[in-house]
Amino acid sequence: MIAFIQALIDGVLVGGVYGVIAVGLSLVFGVLGIVNFAQAEFMMMGMYAAWFAWRYLGLDPLIGAVFSFLVGFGIGALAQRFLIQRVMNAPHVSQIFLTVGILIVMENAALLLFGADFRTVQTPYQTQSLQLGPFFVSVPYLAAFGMALVVSVALWLVMARTWIGRAIRATAQNAMAAGIFGVDAKRVYMVAFGLGTGLTAFGGGIILSYSSVSPTSGAQYVVLMFTVVVLGGLGSVMGAIIGGVAVGIIQSLSTLVMPIQVQNLALFVIFIALLTFRPQGLLGGASR
Amino acid sequence: MTRSLIIIAVVAALALVAGAMLDPRGYVVRVVCLMLLAASLGQCWNIVGGLANQISLGHAAFFGIGAYTSTILQLRYGISPWFGMLAGAAIAGVVGLLISIPTMRLKGSYFALATLAFGEACRIFATAATGLTGGPQGVSVPFLGNSWTMMQFRGAGPYVPILVGLFVLVSVVFAILSHGRLGYLLRATRESEDAAEAAGVNTLGVKLTGSAISAALTAIVGTMFAQFNFFIDPDIVFNPTSISIRAALIAIVGGVGVLTGPIFGAVVIVTMEEVLSAYLSNQAAGIAPLIFGMMLIAIVLWKPAGLSAISFSMRRMPS
Repeated sequence: MIAFIQALIDGVLVGGVYGVIAVGLSLVFGVLGIVNFAQAEFMMMGMYAAWFAWRYLGLDPLIGAVFSFLVGFGIGALAQRFLIQRVMNAPHVSQIFLTVGILIVMENAALLLFGADFRTVQTPYQTQSLQLGPFFVSVPYLAAFGMALVVSVALWLVMARTWIGRAIRATAQNAMAAGIFGVDAKRVYMVAFGLGTGLTAFGGGIILSYSSVSPTSGAQYVVLMFTVVVLGGLGSVMGAIIGGVAVGIIQSLSTLVMPIQVQNLALFVIFIALLTFRPQGLLGGASR
Repeated sequence: MTRSLIIIAVVAALALVAGAMLDPRGYVVRVVCLMLLAASLGQCWNIVGGLANQISLGHAAFFGIGAYTSTILQLRYGISPWFGMLAGAAIAGVVGLLISIPTMRLKGSYFALATLAFGEACRIFATAATGLTGGPQGVSVPFLGNSWTMMQFRGAGPYVPILVGLFVLVSVVFAILSHGRLGYLLRATRESEDAAEAAGVNTLGVKLTGSAISAALTAIVGTMFAQFNFFIDPDIVFNPTSISIRAALIAIVGGVGVLTGPIFGAVVIVTMEEVLSAYLSNQAAGIAPLIFGMMLIAIVLWKPAGLSAISFSMRRMPS
């Protein structure tokens, strides 16, 4: 029982971070209607950005994640403007292969630039944990979860209260109607895509505080990220956060009954089953 | 159909002549073999990706099943890879059928995602099931000397006729599917599933048949790869990029949905891989895939209206 609750605590904390990573993917799909296979590579990029901010500026990755966001936003917005925008109305085949192409380019560009080494950061609280009765709460997990919460609230404020947030939601609902009201859809697509990749990069930055980065870091998270989004409903921002926590719990609980190497196998099975039986997500309400 | 068979015969004859004339242990013969393997792999993908327009990103699953089945049977029981190949094809065919029952209902990106996840699940399984597969260290095909019955040779030369056989098999199956009843049903399903359904086509059944055939043939390519390479591990044969996406890329570069597509694609891709690795070998890992990624982006942006548009213009030519 103690092991179960401990796994639950870890799962929720880690899952909150998954939520932030996946929220970006969900935003991109919800607004642009494009499944971005390259999304996890932006997470890898965010991890590198946070690593460099730690190494050369001495920033804690939780703060360096802001830098990750900016890098992710900038590169994502450019990629949308010059590449993705051209396939907005193209068939799925073109959209799939364009984003798969971007995935391959990003992963191998990272390999060329940074080499295959695993890089980690050292923080003073890295090995600390709080004791609550019989349970332990890992400080890095808790700090990362806290940052994930802060960002989720910030995203909610941007989407609910600002003009660009309203424009993004309006475009997601009906691009033509939004256009009639003076929303420049092309600009919204660019900002929304940048926001999505920026959030995922931010998530990468905070994950770095308790993990390591290499050019294949993105590839390891591709299916996890999509599982989270599909669980919460593709296109639903709130769903992605809940899906993230759910996946964190599933992953953490499955280590109790399965060897660690097959941990992700459980996720894959759930993912395929979900896609098959409830492609609109367990929570329903996908905005697209 | 006749035109397709002539193309297959010409390519097969060219490869055989090249195999007979070149130094059997030489580098060029090796490249010919790699091209035949690549063309066969691309053609397998083309059955599902081109005729049914279901974009699979998980063909490494079947490739790996083929490679591991024959290699394990050979290691444990001394069974010839010729039989191991058939066993692998049977297993992959059944697995392809079973996994397609749920996933083939999915469209577009959802299908691509599900197949990607399936391929990755197989890779993780092969890595974790150490008792069966040898785990991440991989397994070697034991070298017993040049032998036709064990499908293994020291140089690349003797593989040419075998791989030409593979190429002919896969290509003829594609041609038959493409020109035969199933090909029309697959294309009808691709153009409009509802219309095909209304016209009495069992669209799911058609797609399942196509994917089972594609999976079984991909497994055969996997077995031949294992015999040619003498070493396999989960990251080589279940690799999402260098197997699954590469299979799709080979078909896309040459033209999706047509017989000649993967043939052109294989020549272009393998030539590029070899040139790049010759000039940049050790100094820059990652440059070849980087260029593939750029090629993929360039092809998509060049024809954003649809990659299959290339195939339509080809098909209207008199056959």
